Amino acid sequence: MATVERTRAVSEDTVDLIVNGETHTVRVEPQWTLQYVLSEKLGLTGTKEFCGEGACGACTVIMDGRPVLSCMMLAVECGGRPIETVEGIARSNHPLIDAYIKHSCMQCGFCTPGFVVTAKALLDRNPDPTVDDIKEAMVGNLCRCGTYPAHIKAIQEAAAVLRGGGSRG
Amino acid sequence: MDDTQRQRMLESFDNKRADKYPLEEFQSIGKRGVRRTDGYEKATGAAKYTVDVNLPGMLFGRFLTSPYPHAEIVSMDTSEAEKYPGVRAVLRYDDPELPEGASLGGHELNNVAPLSRVAHWHGEELGAFVCADSEEIAEQALKLIRVEWAQRPFNLDILKARETGAPLTNPEDNPAGNLDAGGLYVEGHGDVEKGFAEADKIIEFSYSMGQNTWIGPERPCGVWRWNGEFAEVWVKQQRPHICKRAISMWFDGLTMNKIDLHCLYQGASFGGWSQMAWNLGGTYCAAVVSRRTGRPVKWLFSRREDFYGGEMDAGTFYFKVGAKLDGTITAVEQRGVVANQSMLVFGIAKHLMDNMKIPHVRGITEGVWVNKGPNVPTRCEQNLNSYAVNLVTNQVAEALGLDPVEVALKNDGAEGHDIEWLNERKAELGFPTRDSLRECVEKGKAAIGWDEKRHAAGAKRLPNGRMHGLAFTWTHEWDDSAGTSEVAMYVERNDGTVTILGCRADGGQNAETSYAQVAADELGVPVEQVRFKHQEDAGFYTMTPDTSTNLSVNAWAVRHSARLLKQKLLEAAVAPRGVTQLASFPPAFPGKRADELDIKDGVIFEKADPSNRMTVADFVGPSGAQGPLMSPIGEPILAGKEGLDYPIRFTPPMFEDAYQIQRGTYLGVRLRFCRQAHFMEVEVDPETGEVDITKIVTVNDVGKVINWDGCEGQAYGGAIMGAGRGHTEEVVHDPRTGIMLNGNLLNYKIPTLMDVGDIETIMVETGMGYGPYGSIGIGEDVATVVPALLAPAIHNALGVWIEGFPATPDRVLKALGRA
Repeated sequence: MATVERTRAVSEDTVDLIVNGETHTVRVEPQWTLQYVLSEKLGLTGTKEFCGEGACGACTVIMDGRPVLSCMMLAVECGGRPIETVEGIARSNHPLIDAYIKHSCMQCGFCTPGFVVTAKALLDRNPDPTVDDIKEAMVGNLCRCGTYPAHIKAIQEAAAVLRGGGSRG
Repeated sequence: MDDTQRQRMLESFDNKRADKYPLEEFQSIGKRGVRRTDGYEKATGAAKYTVDVNLPGMLFGRFLTSPYPHAEIVSMDTSEAEKYPGVRAVLRYDDPELPEGASLGGHELNNVAPLSRVAHWHGEELGAFVCADSEEIAEQALKLIRVEWAQRPFNLDILKARETGAPLTNPEDNPAGNLDAGGLYVEGHGDVEKGFAEADKIIEFSYSMGQNTWIGPERPCGVWRWNGEFAEVWVKQQRPHICKRAISMWFDGLTMNKIDLHCLYQGASFGGWSQMAWNLGGTYCAAVVSRRTGRPVKWLFSRREDFYGGEMDAGTFYFKVGAKLDGTITAVEQRGVVANQSMLVFGIAKHLMDNMKIPHVRGITEGVWVNKGPNVPTRCEQNLNSYAVNLVTNQVAEALGLDPVEVALKNDGAEGHDIEWLNERKAELGFPTRDSLRECVEKGKAAIGWDEKRHAAGAKRLPNGRMHGLAFTWTHEWDDSAGTSEVAMYVERNDGTVTILGCRADGGQNAETSYAQVAADELGVPVEQVRFKHQEDAGFYTMTPDTSTNLSVNAWAVRHSARLLKQKLLEAAVAPRGVTQLASFPPAFPGKRADELDIKDGVIFEKADPSNRMTVADFVGPSGAQGPLMSPIGEPILAGKEGLDYPIRFTPPMFEDAYQIQRGTYLGVRLRFCRQAHFMEVEVDPETGEVDITKIVTVNDVGKVINWDGCEGQAYGGAIMGAGRGHTEEVVHDPRTGIMLNGNLLNYKIPTLMDVGDIETIMVETGMGYGPYGSIGIGEDVATVVPALLAPAIHNALGVWIEGFPATPDRVLKALGRA
């Protein structure tokens, strides 16, 4: 039988989370994940928890320019590091959003923000990805509804728009 | 509405016949590029799900779960948990306020303990519900609960569980034995012995199915808040209508009009968990704690807890098939033993009768209870029927050296009759007499390259050393069209946009866009101007994706409502615009009759003189005070009484409601006319047993496409889900301890983007569906029919039949005699 101290000994830390260009000074407990703080404390509920153990990509955010799984990051590790969430990508009117709507990349939609963030990170580092590049980048994002084929089309289209080869219409 | 129009409305309810009054011209229906109404919310993360609800002062509740597969609580000490900082309440199974049973939602009303004392499977929620300031604190506090358990014997094996004298797996519900009390399902027609005697060849085979499950991306959860004596409830449920009905029976009768229900976006459950009898157990407990603490309560399952339960196809199955040498099937006898079907046991030979001309069919399904979670329809209960059609068709073809496509075409029909008989019925009921299966297979064969690539079993080794396999299966489309749908629809003042009201769960099929298309085209307004507000309880409940039904019921209700609303608009346009103490105001179209007007692109116009026109927005006018001096917008309309010339609007509310009630398309109610055909190409490594699915072609006769994105999304999404279920997905239990071993997404393998090759989705539109415009839904179908394709595909590659699903490498090697 597990035993736990009757009084929870919790030390709180303060971190400056730089999310979508804004700094949030947040008091966090050491075991809190970045995903938990983003969704529960900052109200950025687009960063979803699906598997909760780094197996599905639904909680992906971009940190220091790379896609990371926010359910596998402790919030206390993330102070001072630029974090981009799906809300920030949407606010910047990134062409991925229109492309995702046009190609109907969502069904239940719960995993969709994680795909958008992973795709944004791909396009940031590779403006002209091949289909294989896209598959390799997106293979860590799980979708139970099986929307995968639509994402490839949408990412290719958004890439073309970013390169100036297409319209956002 | 005159008598003729009323008669036409009534005839629309005759859902045994073809749509007698389709539109002459479609604007958005069937057009590509209609922007989905939920797209922006879901792409940007703005879409809210029940798990996202976070209310001021909200508590978080989690359940104790059983560490054993079969055990009862003898005593329980919750004192340490209650003292744990941040814990606000611990609700116990022996709490005097908890009833022995309450109706806890699911597919139907029922009577289930909200918090049980006895567990019948490992991980079952029972005993205690801990509510705390955070989920994490609740989880920690659960570890402080000391339970004295009495372990009971358990059984995970359905064949052992059905043996006489086997230890009882659930003495509470099944005291007499482990056979399901309502669980013997016998079906059929003809005389199978006679059919076997007529056969040239008898083929016998068997297979088993492991347990697969739904995997809802959003964990099961719910929120309860008391607003004084009113209950505000957020449900992650596919059937908000059943939820509210169940909730209204709690606490000595909450009245329906004191319950405010929210049904936000759903992180998918595919039927699944949403069907279970106890799925509102958390909501019941949350309601009790919320009242005691005066705080809102959100309850949640953990990710692992979402794995307890599965699709109702787990079991073992035996077939005996008789066939003539030309492939004509004379008889099929099928016996099955299935596990833990927590709804009524469903027949497994239905499709052999529904859409084949086999004269002699007999199916017997036995339901047995073992100590695993409940199994329920999970996209969907027709899985075993799809396996039956697949395996019977392909085994007969292989045994007789025939092309399975030809075997399918030769045996296509209905209820023991041939296709000619079925065509006569189509004509009688007003449908086109198209050969749906032939159209489907011709398109599918061309897409997969059937004639070019087809080869004898085990005959084609690829340059990479793997064996190439090609397979085909088929069955009918089974949108069951059962249920009740109510919607309301009104024209908003100020801008003439249209709102549809009707609470339903969004499962992501793009259904709301489809309904907006139906409403728009019927009303004559642009589709972008229609919004379906489906998340709020407005007193109207539509069918959700449940009872195998969605559009084929709801779209009728939407269409009825839109037609009534259009008629109301046209009649109001030619009538005096209301009578007040001042005057009667002149019609918008004086001297005209309603039938002389029409509406298109949001404009009411005279058919003979389209320049005589007024927008719907102008016609319905502004909201709020519409009397003199208060109405600054719109053109003035003179009051018609001398001396009064201020602007005034006066149109009644443009609101209508409608409903649709249908019986399901089960045997004897309605015949199945539309077919589906699917093809799979694989590469199999005979050394490792690894199967690589390189291509899937899906062909669905959808009758009429309403929304292309919706149809194609269900087809390719279903193909991927189906491939996973047939290939890699299985919930595994430790036989020694009864503990589930892979209740997580690392070890339960759903397909990734790289696990299924190219998918081509083809739609056939024969107009032979029972829905509006001849449509029929396909949402369940592809995910259910595709899994069994692994068997004939592997057989074509290796020349051996796997005897169990999913087709994991060990099963493939076993078929090769190497494991």
